[in-house]
Amino acid sequence: MAFDIPTRSDQLPTDAPRFIGKAVNRIEDPALVSGTVEFIDNLSLPGMLHCAILRSPHPHARITGIDASTALALPGVEAVLTGDDVARWCDPCFTAPEGWGNTCLAVGKVRFVGEPVVAVAASSRYIAEDALELIQVCYELLAPVANPDAAMAPGAPLVFENRGTNVIQSRTYTWGEVDRIFADADRIVSRQFRWNRVGANPTETFGCICQWDLADNSLTCRGAYQTPRFMAIGRAASLRLPANKVRIISHAQGGGFGGKGGPRGTDIAALLSRKSGGRPVKYIEDRMEYLLAGGGQSWDRYYDAALAVKADGTVTGFKVRLVDDQGAGAEGYGTISAAKPLAAFTGNYRIEAAFYDLTLVATNRAPTYPYRGYGPPPHNLVLESLMDVAARELALDPAELRRRNYIRPDEFPYTVPSGNEYDSGNYAAVLDRVLELADYRALRETQAQARAEGRLVGIGVVSTVEPGVFDWNAYATVGVPGVGVPEGVKVAVDVFGNVTVAVGFNLQGQGQFTVAAQVVADYLGVDMNSVKVTTASTDVALPHFGQGGSRLGVAVTGAILGACDKLRQTFCRVVAHVMHAEPGQIELFNGRLQMKHAPEHGMSIAEVAGLMLSRSDLLPPGVEPCPEASFVWVSPNRNQPDDQGRCRSYLTAANATHVVQVEIDRCTGQVKILGYYIVDDCGTRLNPANVEGQLQGGVAQGVGAGLYEEYVYDPQCQPLVSTFVDYLVPTIHEVPMTVKDHLVTPSPVAPLGAKGCGEGAIHTTPAALLCAINDALAPLGLECRETPASPQRLWKLLHEQA
Amino acid sequence: MSTRQTIRLTVNGKSYEREVEARLTLADFLRHELHLGGTHVGCEHGICGACTILIDGRSARACLTLAVQADGADIITVEGLRNRETGQLHPIQQAFVDAHGLQCGFCTPGFIMTTLELLGENPDPSDEEIKEALGGNLCRCTGYQSILDSVRLAARRLQSASAA
Ligand code: FES
Ligand code: FES
Repeated sequence: MAFDIPTRSDQLPTDAPRFIGKAVNRIEDPALVSGTVEFIDNLSLPGMLHCAILRSPHPHARITGIDASTALALPGVEAVLTGDDVARWCDPCFTAPEGWGNTCLAVGKVRFVGEPVVAVAASSRYIAEDALELIQVCYELLAPVANPDAAMAPGAPLVFENRGTNVIQSRTYTWGEVDRIFADADRIVSRQFRWNRVGANPTETFGCICQWDLADNSLTCRGAYQTPRFMAIGRAASLRLPANKVRIISHAQGGGFGGKGGPRGTDIAALLSRKSGGRPVKYIEDRMEYLLAGGGQSWDRYYDAALAVKADGTVTGFKVRLVDDQGAGAEGYGTISAAKPLAAFTGNYRIEAAFYDLTLVATNRAPTYPYRGYGPPPHNLVLESLMDVAARELALDPAELRRRNYIRPDEFPYTVPSGNEYDSGNYAAVLDRVLELADYRALRETQAQARAEGRLVGIGVVSTVEPGVFDWNAYATVGVPGVGVPEGVKVAVDVFGNVTVAVGFNLQGQGQFTVAAQVVADYLGVDMNSVKVTTASTDVALPHFGQGGSRLGVAVTGAILGACDKLRQTFCRVVAHVMHAEPGQIELFNGRLQMKHAPEHGMSIAEVAGLMLSRSDLLPPGVEPCPEASFVWVSPNRNQPDDQGRCRSYLTAANATHVVQVEIDRCTGQVKILGYYIVDDCGTRLNPANVEGQLQGGVAQGVGAGLYEEYVYDPQCQPLVSTFVDYLVPTIHEVPMTVKDHLVTPSPVAPLGAKGCGEGAIHTTPAALLCAINDALAPLGLECRETPASPQRLWKLLHEQA
Repeated sequence: MSTRQTIRLTVNGKSYEREVEARLTLADFLRHELHLGGTHVGCEHGICGACTILIDGRSARACLTLAVQADGADIITVEGLRNRETGQLHPIQQAFVDAHGLQCGFCTPGFIMTTLELLGENPDPSDEEIKEALGGNLCRCTGYQSILDSVRLAARRLQSASAA
């Protein structure tokens, strides 16, 4: 059978979609506002124990002895887990590239502050924490590897001795005739940038309950899992279990943004369960653990970059040298995040040639993990800042310079030098609309006035492309082979015509259950209220990935459309059989299977399902009594990369332009956002309220990364950030209430024309803010090239100049 | 370490008498002893506001309060807002649903409880007053814009309900 995945909503079997495209209320919300959703810490199992973890106070040290006997003797303590158990039972986690992984507890030596060293399972968390205080660990301190320069210095101490080097990966990519283009340029603008570590910090930290069945040698893990099947495979490998004996049950999560971690906590809780005779063990990471060493730190980068520019403002080449401090190993796939910019290396522009020199280094900082956007936020900050420098040097308006270089609407599909193909867009129209929305001319006038008064007011105009719907092929060159990321769903109609959609992931906040219900309801012509969306555990779920890479809204839509088309074909056969017609004479329309030329003859979805389930005598030969269908969607038309990483990786290319006006307070260095305007184009908006929520949430995280958030380490690699008092997540006072509008250029290749839209704003906001800050500083001849542009950092810049 | 003490308190209109350890936090007591899991814990150091509840009508951080400190108190948690019999949402809860004031929903009970206090004291707050009231609650998902809309909507609806 061939399946039809509509790329436009007018191809749906209905005269007018009732739900798709509307800001319908989310089906997940009544329970969430009532406080009745089962986040993992709300669940208790009979006989459950609680885990607490003793962590390393040192960035780099050999463990010379552990005495946990007093802890084990404490009433209520059931098990103590150390590196000896782990060495016996576990392997280091998978990494890309391979061989840079840690085990869940340190074996032999610790590599970062906060690394788990001993874990305890006790009858309460309080007792488990008491027990930690009774454990003695002896350390022999080693010199820390504090930063990439130190890591690459000859004779540097090694984070992983068995590797013989601290360089995880180093390679270059050349796309086009870069040397010639730089030689022919009228002007080369180059700068260095430093992007300091930030991180995801969802309001709910990671948590899990693990139970090791000793009879069956199998493991069940319930928890805040973002990518359940991926997690199951990883646990099977690290815990040396057959993959079909690890069952992951994903619970609703209090946010994720990529940074939920999970492998370490899961493995520790699993082994404690094994050690305590199979009792369930709960581990809830606390915020201090999260901030010290959780799965949320990201992007610790040093950039040296250059643009080749012609006198008329045409940008012809882009070179980037990136040294990325991955921290103690590659367990969190921070490596991938350095490769992701390949999907949109040259942004919105017709830049002919580009060069990328990528060095990934291990240090004694905490390992880095994914965070929303997964790489482009710093990359775009570099590209867009250089565009502004070029504009200043050429005395061109930054908006005008961008307009001159945009890829034009008639050039799509457009292949960028780094290989990805953009599906569609109209960048100049987006720019025009945002300049109008912001009243750009008026903003420039108020800026001129403010400058005349000696105030530091600046404007940022920044355009970005958001690669949407990730594919593994984007990461092949850093060690992740494969093409195609599956997302599977099952759609089932019951005897009363209710519809159940089973997916492989659970809620995380983006509203995908609602999108699933909207799509299935419009396709099958039922009410959204009669749709139930539910999460299958990994032992029964279809191949899936879940949230990640601006992908799930599009992917789940594709999977549902595929499953619905299968159902439609089966229903047509059944109805044709009972109506003595040919299947080709039957169509699905507005929830009825009817004769194409005599629509008054037909049956409702409920009637067909009821018939299939209760009148096997009426079924055509070869049709099972099963009004259900499964479909596993992958992006169409993906390919393997060449040796320079070039391939059709991300399926969709949404885009946006942000305009922001800021004022820097000379006395405090504080940046105040005076106005923030966004026009974006992510194709069809399946649920506009969801899209706007993604945008505004991304702006908030972009404000954090651009102005406030930073994982600060001292020169000895001691983290100085361990609470929300030190790590500054923006509050309602810091986040601008943005003015938004949008254009719609549907994707010609994605289900219903929708493009990935979860990451675009964080791709753009830090760059927009830094460009605005540097526009404000320009009259002083100053530039800030480090994030976050915190009050302290800007004050120092202003002060040192004076 | 484990000095135990008997406490009596009212939670969502129901009276309880329990013996608790002196060091037990009120958040843990509500969540794990009374099984009221809607009071979420995001930081346990008083910054995020996810654990906000009302103690004798005033908003408080359940993570920074000990259960023994709540002896004699009258507490409202997010579970106390919905109509017990019909399940109908409180107008503030409904406003958060209608104005898309949440994504993951983990921070939401805290925002709703803070809003309940705000609108009880000031039925017609300005945007600045709303921001002032919500400044102690972190949301990592929404960027606050739809939360501001939700509180405005709730205020409008509650006002027109009380005028009617
Ligand atoms: S958990 Fe109480 S303020 Fe964060
Ligand atoms: S909705 Fe997720 S933290 Fe607020």
